[in-house]
Amino acid sequence: MRRIFAQVRKELTQIARDRLALVLALALPLGLMLLLGNSIALTVTGVPIVVQDLDDSPASRNFIDAFRESVTFLVIPWTTALPPERAFESTKARAALIVPQHYGRDMARGLTTPVQLLVDASDANTAKLVQGYAGEIAANYQPAAAPVKAEIRLWFNPGRESKKFYGPGIFVLGISMFPPLLAALAMSKEGEQKTILQVYVSSISATEFLLGKIFAFLLIALAEWCLSMILLVTYFGLHLAGDPTPLLAATVLYAFCVASFGTLLGAAIPNQAASIQAVALGGFLLVFLLSGLIFPVSNIPPQLRWISGLVWGRYYIEIVRDALLQGGGWPAMWFNVVMIAVIGAVFYLLAWKKMRRMQLSV
Amino acid sequence: MSAIAVDALTKRYGAVEAVRGIGFDVQPGEIFGLIGPDGAGKTSTFQILAGVMEASGGKVEIFGSPARDARSTTGYLTQSFSLYPDLTVAENIRYIGDLRRVTPHDIDDRAHRYLSMFDMDRFTERLAGRLSGGMKQKLSLACALVAQPKVLLLDEPTTGVDPVSRREFWDTLAHLAIEGLTIMVATPYLDEAERCHRVALMHLGEIREMGTPAELRGKLGAKRLEVHTDKLGDAEEILLRRSSEGQEIVDVQRFGDRLDVIAPDPDRGRKVVEEALGSQGLKSDVFRVDQPTLENTFVATLRNIDRGKSAEPPAYPGKHPHRDLAGQVAIGARELTKKFGAFTAVKDVNIEVKYGEIYGLLGANGAGKTTTIKMLCGLLGPTTGSMELAGEKGSLRSREVRERIGYMSQKFSLYDDLSIDENLDFFAGVYGVPPEEREEKKKWVLAFSGLEGKQDLITGSLPGGWKQRVAFGASILHEPSVLFLDEPTSGVDPLARRAFWRMINKLADMGTAILVTTHYLEEAEQCNRLGFMVAGELVAEGTPQGVKSKRGGHLLEFLVDQPQRAADLLREKGDRWRVSLFGDRLHVITDDDVETGKKKTSERLQSAGIQIREAYEEPYSLEDVFIVVVEKARQQGKFAKED
Repeated sequence: MRRIFAQVRKELTQIARDRLALVLALALPLGLMLLLGNSIALTVTGVPIVVQDLDDSPASRNFIDAFRESVTFLVIPWTTALPPERAFESTKARAALIVPQHYGRDMARGLTTPVQLLVDASDANTAKLVQGYAGEIAANYQPAAAPVKAEIRLWFNPGRESKKFYGPGIFVLGISMFPPLLAALAMSKEGEQKTILQVYVSSISATEFLLGKIFAFLLIALAEWCLSMILLVTYFGLHLAGDPTPLLAATVLYAFCVASFGTLLGAAIPNQAASIQAVALGGFLLVFLLSGLIFPVSNIPPQLRWISGLVWGRYYIEIVRDALLQGGGWPAMWFNVVMIAVIGAVFYLLAWKKMRRMQLSV
Repeated sequence: MSAIAVDALTKRYGAVEAVRGIGFDVQPGEIFGLIGPDGAGKTSTFQILAGVMEASGGKVEIFGSPARDARSTTGYLTQSFSLYPDLTVAENIRYIGDLRRVTPHDIDDRAHRYLSMFDMDRFTERLAGRLSGGMKQKLSLACALVAQPKVLLLDEPTTGVDPVSRREFWDTLAHLAIEGLTIMVATPYLDEAERCHRVALMHLGEIREMGTPAELRGKLGAKRLEVHTDKLGDAEEILLRRSSEGQEIVDVQRFGDRLDVIAPDPDRGRKVVEEALGSQGLKSDVFRVDQPTLENTFVATLRNIDRGKSAEPPAYPGKHPHRDLAGQVAIGARELTKKFGAFTAVKDVNIEVKYGEIYGLLGANGAGKTTTIKMLCGLLGPTTGSMELAGEKGSLRSREVRERIGYMSQKFSLYDDLSIDENLDFFAGVYGVPPEEREEKKKWVLAFSGLEGKQDLITGSLPGGWKQRVAFGASILHEPSVLFLDEPTSGVDPLARRAFWRMINKLADMGTAILVTTHYLEEAEQCNRLGFMVAGELVAEGTPQGVKSKRGGHLLEFLVDQPQRAADLLREKGDRWRVSLFGDRLHVITDDDVETGKKKTSERLQSAGIQIREAYEEPYSLEDVFIVVVEKARQQGKFAKED
């Protein structure tokens, strides 16, 4: 026990001495959250749209007002003399709405009246969303009191703010990257500077040595977690929904998991530059791409989808989102907690296997 | 029971057999030295003894139990010191102590004890990475001692450490051995090996010779003649040729102002020397006959083993000698001063080196040697003062000047991830070696380094000593007329060191101006002139013989029955630096005349019941001079930055 404690103290002292490491551990994750939290947004708002009202009746103006009211569109004045395609060419607008003549008369007679929507589809994803939103507005447009009215309520994230959805994801990304990075650096440095020999000469066991190292970086991960959590609550406007115990249990296990991951890579690669790359590849790419952080797991091609079942970040992202948005608690999340524990244990065992002999491996 | 018992120990790395069935016993309280050329298998042996590597076969026991189980009773110091540079002195000791289950109270106690013993208790809060080489070494010794081991394993602990620190370190070891600690040490410095109780000479994984230093010297069965003559280079060639013809001369080694000739029979040897040189019209004078050194033994033994192989490296394919420049000033520095902020690293240094001259710059770690070299070769601009380099006064970094100088820095490493061949191609390219000469030059570097046919090896995989040889070869590929060598032989074995110096001498004979720094003071004897630096100032300058004779006082050697007690006693009253211990011999520097000094010291020793077997005056070695110069300068208030 004392040796584990000595190991923890030594690692933390080394980190505290290294300004760069401290920035990596604590400041960079916050910066990353602010940057990515604000820049990733897959919803569209304020799409510039030109409107040509060939009817120019009270009814048509009323219909166009429905577009003006929507946050999705920003109506740009356009004379009827110019073809709307010009607006696309000069990138003044991404869409055009053309209301035909006789619109008011047809509406008054109760006839179905087609209006034309032109969409710049060079950005296919935005085009699709614009098409959807425009269709929705047109379909919901009820000039007079309608017999049935659809009342839509958005749950969990009523403002559909992507910040609230991506914030937790990037938060997990930070924890998946920086603590293991530091752990891997600390471990490979021992090999590179040959200080590992001092450890080998003492009779400290692999278990004591590894637990000491891992515990130190687990503490770093938890410190980072606390700071990032404060940012989630204050800046991202999230708060705990429901039972926090699954989140707390999963957090400690996840911190162990990522610290073990870094330590394993550092032990396997006694070269600082190479181990950084390994962590970046494992910690960043896997968690960024295959964990549902940005693309839903169901969108990953089925041949590759099984990989995401092995990505530790995926389970933790679901837990964090659940704790901050849905609040499903243990019944919804127990499997994820178990999976994090299992993957963490595998990392630890591999690291132990690598270090088991506590000898130069020749 | 033996402290260390090794029997039929072998270690294989794949097809390579690094250790081939060695065996030896070390008794408790003994200092046992392991010497041998680079790649002899010393480090492998140490790693097995320390229990950090498995042997391929054989028995290794420490106080009766297998090495791996005995780790709690061994302390291990590696070449790289294995310290955590980002922890403080106290934290390093604390961590190692905790790992070895020493109670916190004992850790504090012992840390205090050893740090004050090593005179570094002022530095407990300093980061280990910011200590000098000598301090780092003492700190790692303190770390190893905190667990109170019974056996101490030291793998080249003094590489890159200056002579003053080395001497202190060995005094400490002698003390520890008297307290009962068993010490096994590997060293490339054979003067250090003289301070071991017993020495084993290892070569290609086998032990070739073993015994006390006196026994090993005796086995050579020869005497060392110091020969003075006017043309050293020619004389060396003549005598070497003569030594291969008959048995009268075993070996010839060139020093700055003399030749050492090893001859089984001193009288016949003297005659042969006089005849051989006389027949070529050279005057000679044998002015001393003395015991051979351990280094003579080492070299002679290895030569015997390698007999049959071509011992001589091929001739340097020099196509552009600079002889016509001889006598002109190559490096001229006046009043060079360099300040880093408030700290003055170099102060008012004047150095002049002519073409064809070898100038040695000596000094303790942190004395400002490397900063001086960097200014002299134009890498670093001086704060004040003027510089002249290769005939150029203004732009020292112009292309023409750079093509004429060569620089091998202390840490000059080749690119570790390139092969030797690729490295040589690269340097031949950047230095502008004419394409038609490249093949021949590369071949020469490989032959000089003893790496023929291995040019495709990755440079990073070579042992330090070999890398050093390739780096030296690479720095002279373009036949520079001015050559700067910053500790070129650090960590290189004695045999290779001689090859280095023969080459350096040859380059000087071809007209190259050479400025060299070294911690091996016996090789500094080969310089034509020497400068001693202390705390950024040049405090003494002259030929090796000149600086020695300029020292006031006398050096007395005492053979006594209790050397360590005698040394402690003399140090108690009087300056510590005046007394040093070499195995069973005691060196005492006195300001009185020889007889008075002998009498005074003898009386002091005898009154404490110490028997004196013999007492006589010895000529100063450069190391003695170095220590006196440094100490005197310190007394005048000049301190290295560390103090």
